[in-house]
Amino acid sequence: MKTILNSVIKTVVTITVLLALSHTNAQEGPTEEDYYRLTTIPVPEGILVEGGGVLTLPNGNIAVCTRRGDVWILENPTMAGGNGVNFKKYASGLHEPLGLAYKEGALYTAQRGELTKLMDTDGDGIADTYETIYAWPLSTHYHEYSFGPVLAPDGKFFVTANVAFGDEEWWRGESRVPFRAWTMKISEDGQMEPWATGMRSPAGYGLVDGELFYTDNQGDWIGSGAVWHLPKGAFTGHPAGLKWSGMEGSPISLTEERFYSKIDKRQTKVNGRFVKPENIQDEENPDFAYKIKETFPELQLPAVILPHGILGVSTSEIKVDATKGKFGPFSGQLLVGDMGQSKIMRVALEKIKGAYQGVAFDFRAGFQSGVMRMDFDHNGNLFIGETNRGWGSAGTTNSGLEYLSWTGKVPFEMKTVKAMPDGFEIEFTKEVDRASASDLDSYTGKSYIYKYHAAYGSPQTNIEDVVIKGVKVSEDGLKVRVVTDGLRQFYVHEIVLSGIKTKENGNGILHPTFYYTLNNIPDGDKLSLAELSTQRSSTAKKKVIKKKVVAASSPTPQKRVLTDSEVQPLLTANTCVACHHKDKRVIGPSFKNIAQRKYTDEEMVELIYNPQPKNWPEYATPMAPMPQVPKKEALQIAAWINSLR
Amino acid sequence: MKIKLLYLLLFCGTGMFAQEKLSLETLGAFKEQAGNWQLVGDVAMDRNIDIHQKPEAAEGKKRKRKKKKESATILAPMTFKEGTGILLNNFQEGKKDNLYTNLEHGDIYLEMEVMLPKGSNSGIYLQGMYELQLCDSWGVTNPKFSDIGGIYRNWESEPGKIFHGIAPLSNAAKAPGLWQELRIHFQAPRFAADGSKTSNAKFVSVFLNGQLIHSNVEVPLPTGGAISNREVAKGPLMIQGDHGAVAFRNIRYRSMTDSDVKVSSVSYKTYKGDFKGLEDLEGAKTASEGTVELIDINVVGEEDSYGAIFSGNLEIPVEDTYLFHIGYTGGAEFLLDGKSVAINNSSDAAGTLTAEAELTPGKHSFEIKNVKNAGWRAPRLGLAISTATTNPLEANAFNSFPPNINSVSPIYVEPGARPRLLRGFVSFKGSGKRLSHTIGVGTPKGINYVYDLGSANIIGLWRGNFVDATPMWHDRGNGSFNPRGAVQWTFLNQPIAQLENLTTSFPTTGERPDFISKGYRLDAKTGLPIFKHLYKGVEIENGIRPDSTNTYLINEINFSKAELTDHYCKLAEGKIEKLADGSYAIDDRQYYINLLSEQLPTIREVQGTSELLVPVNGSSIKYEIIW
Repeated sequence: MKTILNSVIKTVVTITVLLALSHTNAQEGPTEEDYYRLTTIPVPEGILVEGGGVLTLPNGNIAVCTRRGDVWILENPTMAGGNGVNFKKYASGLHEPLGLAYKEGALYTAQRGELTKLMDTDGDGIADTYETIYAWPLSTHYHEYSFGPVLAPDGKFFVTANVAFGDEEWWRGESRVPFRAWTMKISEDGQMEPWATGMRSPAGYGLVDGELFYTDNQGDWIGSGAVWHLPKGAFTGHPAGLKWSGMEGSPISLTEERFYSKIDKRQTKVNGRFVKPENIQDEENPDFAYKIKETFPELQLPAVILPHGILGVSTSEIKVDATKGKFGPFSGQLLVGDMGQSKIMRVALEKIKGAYQGVAFDFRAGFQSGVMRMDFDHNGNLFIGETNRGWGSAGTTNSGLEYLSWTGKVPFEMKTVKAMPDGFEIEFTKEVDRASASDLDSYTGKSYIYKYHAAYGSPQTNIEDVVIKGVKVSEDGLKVRVVTDGLRQFYVHEIVLSGIKTKENGNGILHPTFYYTLNNIPDGDKLSLAELSTQRSSTAKKKVIKKKVVAASSPTPQKRVLTDSEVQPLLTANTCVACHHKDKRVIGPSFKNIAQRKYTDEEMVELIYNPQPKNWPEYATPMAPMPQVPKKEALQIAAWINSLR
Repeated sequence: MKIKLLYLLLFCGTGMFAQEKLSLETLGAFKEQAGNWQLVGDVAMDRNIDIHQKPEAAEGKKRKRKKKKESATILAPMTFKEGTGILLNNFQEGKKDNLYTNLEHGDIYLEMEVMLPKGSNSGIYLQGMYELQLCDSWGVTNPKFSDIGGIYRNWESEPGKIFHGIAPLSNAAKAPGLWQELRIHFQAPRFAADGSKTSNAKFVSVFLNGQLIHSNVEVPLPTGGAISNREVAKGPLMIQGDHGAVAFRNIRYRSMTDSDVKVSSVSYKTYKGDFKGLEDLEGAKTASEGTVELIDINVVGEEDSYGAIFSGNLEIPVEDTYLFHIGYTGGAEFLLDGKSVAINNSSDAAGTLTAEAELTPGKHSFEIKNVKNAGWRAPRLGLAISTATTNPLEANAFNSFPPNINSVSPIYVEPGARPRLLRGFVSFKGSGKRLSHTIGVGTPKGINYVYDLGSANIIGLWRGNFVDATPMWHDRGNGSFNPRGAVQWTFLNQPIAQLENLTTSFPTTGERPDFISKGYRLDAKTGLPIFKHLYKGVEIENGIRPDSTNTYLINEINFSKAELTDHYCKLAEGKIEKLADGSYAIDDRQYYINLLSEQLPTIREVQGTSELLVPVNGSSIKYEIIW
């Protein structure tokens, strides 16, 4: 019964997510499941695997640590040979451990307040020594989670530490004790080296070519979730940890005082009460991180932005596909989990002018709960520890343990995208249909940036169309150069390849949108116009059509309320579906539930632009302001929501 | 919920109404008795000597246990000093009357401290009818009706008249000779005009040593040994004196009756609109009006965007200080005789207004204004009226302010065949400083403690159920758990330290670089943790285990290095008394420390507190913590 229910739920979620994220007609084409098969591990009754850490051990067993404080060792985790999984409790009683590492026979985990080494000294498969490697202070605020560890190539451990929040200023991340909001590097003998700060909720981390990377979640000072490269001394943006930059061993000299002398803290009182800073609509000359970096060079820009609401809402683990092909065609790339949207994104990095940047795509959705931790087993299966307790997620169960297996079929995807002096080079997993790839109408795009401010998150700002001037398809049909005059350094370039088909069978790209964070534009030769295809299949010569215009272009009279299928492209394009569902509570309330509030259409539009999370105290994740939604579309969405009452 | 909570606070002692003290300066509060009940200035009861035991046997046993002690000391189960303030039943054959108060009570809040010698037995009869058992139940694993806090059975055999007694929810008993705190909220039976009983006597709540041991249990019949078989509205307190010695102090009570306030002529007007404050009701168009018996917000007929004004009369029977609680969602104002006495001018809040007023007998008018413009809050409006001696009168319809039920399933953690450890934040004394690096340890036999890894200190101990992890594991959680028992808290300090001199305080908590926690290992045989930390380079291990009878704890501390100088170990703080058997009573007889190792303890005063210390030279320290 449970399995049936689960699979029904999963199907529903999959369909929802496909509707949400695919611009092609998803039901008719291939789905993610055709290429990456998801298997749920049956967990013995009474055990809750709220996955805080997942790790493959040298013998092929999987270790999982849970928010309930247990460490389970799973033998035969893929249930091979018709045998079940054996769950053995290796350790218990830990304080919400959120990560696992293995070194020389011992497991290491970060509890809230310390890095702990777990050892089984008598060989019964159960830890009997819980050695504190290094303990750090806590103020006992609920949000003081600690994540890790990551085993560094030198045998030391990285641990990241969440901020607390203010008492009255409950929206302001603060570091009450050292070294909250920092990344610490800890050696086996208990020496701690403050490594970097700027963290807000650094749930994700991973090593790429021996270098530390981490992910953070949207929130105050963090406009959107993203992946950062984290060299020693980096300051990634959240200022809370600057409080301790004067402490011994700090590799950062920037002080809070200097920081706030350049940037508005947005800390004001009205009638004796602090006022929560909100996004300022149509703000004149807003701060952007790249501009602030001119003053504070230690400010580390995100390597790859994962646009909030589209590529996740609460990013988690980073895992490099080091399976050498066992997991499919994306070897060497990064997989990044997301808790709220219960999915995994794919990221390809490149280093331009000495700094990391790169591209992000959707990869796989439909997990039963929030994706928190992942690790590959020795056969190239990706094990995923899941939880959503307290935050909510697209996946509807509160915890889960699943694994993702490549089916052996290669999906038609953009394998990677590289920045070029005049645009991008897109590489595909399969040969493209030349006609569709040469047609400029197959490409639409926009670019935008996120603000750097004390308000919670940022809307996409300074949005402009990316006008494609021409394209060039490579001889082998596996690459396309896209040329534009509209590259903007530091901006996210979001390009949709909705018209491109594979030569093989005419299918569209499984995930046809890429999101490239262009921290640097590479030098080099530009393609000459003569080399480019500039043809358009559309008869009328006109400006490239934006997808939202496409969506709205159905002949809809202003006053008529849209049907469900008519409104769907609007909800998708404006990322409403990232958090809302028509009937179901997801991360935010269902549209039907919103309709019950009896807002007028105009009021609802105002709430889209300036949400009031206090109106929905039972929802954990506050809605970000969405001023980028065109007024006309917002009104249509509002009218449709109100029609559900 | 809010209103209910507030009442709980109010009536449990420290609220607006003070409780009356039952004077123990004279025996004037009590009826005549044979003389076994007397007032004394102090009393000490030996935890090891059963009241039924002969002194010689006791001495022999003591000598075996504590060979260091002088064998000449003759140990008595009980000694006392002249004076007043403590009520003692100096029980002896021929002089063993029960004790009755002159006070006759119905509903009552009653609290006291009680001390029992080993093996003794007494009981307190509410209304002389319903016995809450008092006896030495130290260490009992599954308490029965006949253990301390049990509601005793009767001995009737006729069907329909048998009452089997009610066991306490858990055994919160302390060791003999310690002061135990008892808090009772009792509700008397109710009778119709014809004398027939309409509701049973009820123990609304009973707390023993801070632990809830009864919650809304009815006693349908008098218990064994009641002064009468006929249940009545009022009766005296009776304390059993014919079974064994017992002592009481700090007896406080508040006698309650039902309120005679009448709420009459309640009328209402309702309004519709997006009211942002109470002033918006002025000039607003009335949507409906009418009269009701009790305040009922459901008359607005809307879930949200409404306003309502209820007005009516209070018929006040006697001059007194009246306390009003108005529970609401949105915003609300309460007016008495046309004057505003409490207001929260909001439209989206939720809470309780409180107002206190001296009222003369006769009619007074009241008015409640309420607006709500907060779709996420359910309509709620309630009014309760009480005084120091009257139960709250609810002047609202049930559905207007239904009880706010906590629907979260609790997450309890219990040890199985092996000890269960759990790290989590723990608030010292339940509501004090929240510690970050604490671990709870529960043993299969129900001896539990919390150890602070941040200072290498045992901060609390309890018997029975282990912990409630709901605060940590429900929803996001706050990282903490709560012990599920009557916790004996100790003190907050890093207890082992090198002190400059004997006036230097111990460190508040462990700090690098002197103090480094190293975690713990689990003993292969028992599964119990042995904690380890480094202090100034010395490895120190704390092994904490239950004693062989699984009643209390033994802490054994070992050092990696000998010949330490100026090092001390703090064993306890609070008022410290050395007892005849060589052990120490701590904090006005809240618990005992009994040193088993050879060190010579010192009692010192530092910063206004007494501390029990032993010098540390590197040899093992071993002591019992008995509570």
